[in-house]
Amino acid sequence: MESLDPRINRLKSKAEWDEEIQKSAMDQFETYEVFIQIRENRPYEHVGIMHAPNEEMALIFGKEQYSRRYTCTGIFVVRTDHVKITAFSENEENIYEHMDLNGIQDGGESFEIFHLKKRGKQHIHVGKVEAGDYEGALSVSANLYNIGTPVYNVWVVKTSDILSIPPEDKMIWDTLPEKKFRDAMAYKAGDKIKEFKERNQK
Amino acid sequence: MNVEALKDLLYKIADDQLILGHRNSEWTGLGPLLEEDIAFSSMAQDKVGQSYAFYQLLEQLGEQKPDTIAFHRSAENFKNCQLVELPNQEYDFSLIRHFLFDKAELLRFELLSQSSYEPLALLSKKLLGEVRYHVMHADAFIKQLGSATEESILRLQTSLNEALPYALGIFEPSDLEMDIINDGIFAGEEALKERWIETVFTTISKTELNLADIDSITPIYGGRRGIHTEHLQPLLNEMTEVLNLDPSAEW
Repeated sequence: MESLDPRINRLKSKAEWDEEIQKSAMDQFETYEVFIQIRENRPYEHVGIMHAPNEEMALIFGKEQYSRRYTCTGIFVVRTDHVKITAFSENEENIYEHMDLNGIQDGGESFEIFHLKKRGKQHIHVGKVEAGDYEGALSVSANLYNIGTPVYNVWVVKTSDILSIPPEDKMIWDTLPEKKFRDAMAYKAGDKIKEFKERNQK
Repeated sequence: MNVEALKDLLYKIADDQLILGHRNSEWTGLGPLLEEDIAFSSMAQDKVGQSYAFYQLLEQLGEQKPDTIAFHRSAENFKNCQLVELPNQEYDFSLIRHFLFDKAELLRFELLSQSSYEPLALLSKKLLGEVRYHVMHADAFIKQLGSATEESILRLQTSLNEALPYALGIFEPSDLEMDIINDGIFAGEEALKERWIETVFTTISKTELNLADIDSITPIYGGRRGIHTEHLQPLLNEMTEVLNLDPSAEW
């Protein structure tokens, strides 16, 4: 059944977990999902999409695109079609309770789990799990991280599909704190324009 | 401590950043990709912001206010190297200049973070992060386009050959060079150049590009003494165009 909301149809999400379904890429370059950490020890949050010819450039572009106006402590990117997504739940329902999960829980691969807990907001990193496949990762996550308010949607990403800034380059976050000159808001011209108009009227 | 030597050094650094920041900002809205347009423009803003920080250091040493220094001097009073004032040309040249200049800038700030003049050491340490990203950006581009297609390699190689003599002009020694070194303010242009050649070579050797024998190239000097190409004064005229409509206006 198609949703009345075109955004949901675009996501091609189904009610059941289906590993074949992934977030669809756009037509220009490859697309990458960008996640930012605002402060040390805060979870990474999804901030948007980046068009780029490859992973390295996605990271380079994403850094300026999403952190130039604010101080920030980390960034990583992952190719859009490496993000596996669950269906969206409705109302206040928890998506974990609507999934019949049969994946392989045992296994040495590590996955990152992202939850959507506020509609209209973005996915936030909740933790890492070890499992044999994506569905198994969801099962483990259902036991570990399904706490508190309902989860409306889950993203699962292999840790090995993530590209981040290496620790030795962490200093790039240490920038000049004075960034006001970058904002149009900081140029207070209103009073001057008013004064100019008044002067011309006289 | 020789204050005149220190001021000369600060002028060189600040003027380089202001002029290159302005040049690079000319790409705003015209960049090859939206994403790169944003990144390159943002780095240009970083450069102008950094020049402001250095002009403030000069003000503390008794020079005029940053705005006055930046906007009320004619070309012959600027101490930037000629590399930064050259027109942008095609994107390949702008990228190569960005690569050659920022590599030197990062090493300069690394050396200056050990400076005996503490305000300079602190500021340089603070700026390392921004310039480190600029170099990551430059390296990523040069590594990829330097081994991509026949056209990209040829374009970068041509620009590299053209830019190198000017890039060596970054390291034009000042008459007061020995004072700066002896006072522990800065390790000096020659020491900087040695390190720069090494790091430029490291990146270039990962590509299909060739780096000419540096010793066989005659550096283009003059910028540090106020001798500039015909391109600097028009840049300054444009930069101060609005200001000069009414120099007494308050901003």
